[in-house]
Amino acid sequence: MSSFPTPESSHGEAPSRLEASASRDDDLAVESAVQSRLGVWFDHHLYSLVASVGRLLSKPWAALLTIGVMAVALALPLGLWAALSNIERFAGEVQQSRQISLFLKPEIKLERARALAEELRARPEIGAIELRTPEQGLADLREKSGLGDSLSAIEGNPLPSLLLVTPKGDELALAESLGSLAETDVVQHDAGWRQRLDGWLRFGIRLAWLLAAMLGLGALLVVGNTVRLDIQSRREEIGVLQLLGATDGFIRRPFLYLGACYGLAAGAVALALLTAADRTLREPLTALATSYGSHFELQGFDLPQALAILAGAAALGWLGAGFVTGHYLRQSRSGQG
Amino acid sequence: MTVLRFDNVSKRYSSGHEALSEVSFEVAPGEMLFVTGHSGAGKSTLLKLIHLSERPSRGAVLFGERNLLKVGGRRIALHRREIGVVFQDHRLLADRSVADNVALPLLLRGLRRPDIGRRVRMTLEKVGLGARASALPGELSAGEQQRVGIARAIIGEPRLLVADEPTGNLDPTLSAEIMTLFQSLPERGTSVLVASHDLALVKRMKKRVLVLNQGRLVDDIAPEDLAE
Repeated sequence: MSSFPTPESSHGEAPSRLEASASRDDDLAVESAVQSRLGVWFDHHLYSLVASVGRLLSKPWAALLTIGVMAVALALPLGLWAALSNIERFAGEVQQSRQISLFLKPEIKLERARALAEELRARPEIGAIELRTPEQGLADLREKSGLGDSLSAIEGNPLPSLLLVTPKGDELALAESLGSLAETDVVQHDAGWRQRLDGWLRFGIRLAWLLAAMLGLGALLVVGNTVRLDIQSRREEIGVLQLLGATDGFIRRPFLYLGACYGLAAGAVALALLTAADRTLREPLTALATSYGSHFELQGFDLPQALAILAGAAALGWLGAGFVTGHYLRQSRSGQG
Repeated sequence: MTVLRFDNVSKRYSSGHEALSEVSFEVAPGEMLFVTGHSGAGKSTLLKLIHLSERPSRGAVLFGERNLLKVGGRRIALHRREIGVVFQDHRLLADRSVADNVALPLLLRGLRRPDIGRRVRMTLEKVGLGARASALPGELSAGEQQRVGIARAIIGEPRLLVADEPTGNLDPTLSAEIMTLFQSLPERGTSVLVASHDLALVKRMKKRVLVLNQGRLVDDIAPEDLAE
């Protein structure tokens, strides 16, 4: 089999023929006309990128509609993901308070409370224990409640000593055991509430993944369909390029770039939508959290996350375009036997 | 040494229609010849076998030393870069300028932009369209569009140029201009194979003529015999 004239495969026949033509005709003289493989690669990619951007700009309304649909399809799972991240962060704070609050009877003196704390610290089912004295409790109340002056009016300190117990093993058994102590007034332990929250979070995360998968597939199909329509409208052009000797890669490339451009633009619009939502909700949510004595603040996407979203959206567009173009090229080749 | 050789080539489509039947001929380097015959005689199928849009059912097509039966995948594209194709309906890219259309084969081959620009200008001058480089195909007359198609086909100095009814939509004066262009190509080493059903035109050109009838090569007329 003879070699083929292409700079992409070799510098064999084509340059020699072109250079031979130069010897036949001085006005067509070309010195080392064919570029290096890297030069050809760069040139072809640049050509494809410019062609793709040109196609986007040539139909701005159609492009905007496609980008808008894709952006919404991306924004929904991303928004859910962001919401769950915030809930998880909030729940993390709650999880950290697995502690059992053991309120001692008011008549228990501080010395006895300290001794009890030491006795309990030695028990294997207890990971850590912290004593909050009535004075510390009052100071906390004064700081967080904003009732400083009113509290000053109260004579003495009505608050009991509090032991914050971090369990090591079975929380329920420990809480029951602590409740039976003679010094115990009240045991506060919200195990049931936390279990329910855990359940909702697990369900939410699963739902977010499911929605992300479905809407991601939707975004893929939107790009795929847009590129398919573009291919249909350019069937003749593709046929001509094939007859002129364009490889599948050369034909596929502009469509891949087109898909990536759609994805990138949709990713940017989705990020803009979510940032706007973040800005809108941040202030009232922070105010709500503060009213409950929490320092919780809504967190949006940071720069690495935003870049990852843009890259992911572009990859999604590229992939959708790749599937459709590959399918079309396989079909068009089947006629060549 | 031949540029193209058909060796007992037959082509039967999946519908059962036999478009070519045991066709054999050779094309020498720098030779210009015509393939003629009625509509449906097999002219277009013959050209499709050359640029690998179709495969023969039997026999072999050799392009130089290359057996086209063994050319597949990416090599089909590389093979096509050695052949210039001119279509009756021009098949120009409507949204690209004349210069961009003509530049395509060189872009595919990976020539440098400045070299492409220089060769495009020279080729357009050669076909008489130097002043229309930036026009869109839709702004040109049918004859001018065909000349752009020819410029695109010859810019890469192909070993073989195949033209399918290149003068089908043109008046006699324009047809003569196009044929004059084709006639200049063999001087530059390019073989030219023109499919045409215009017998008057074929006779005027006084070139070798292959006559197809119902897929069979029924005559191979030398230029001197045609003159008689």
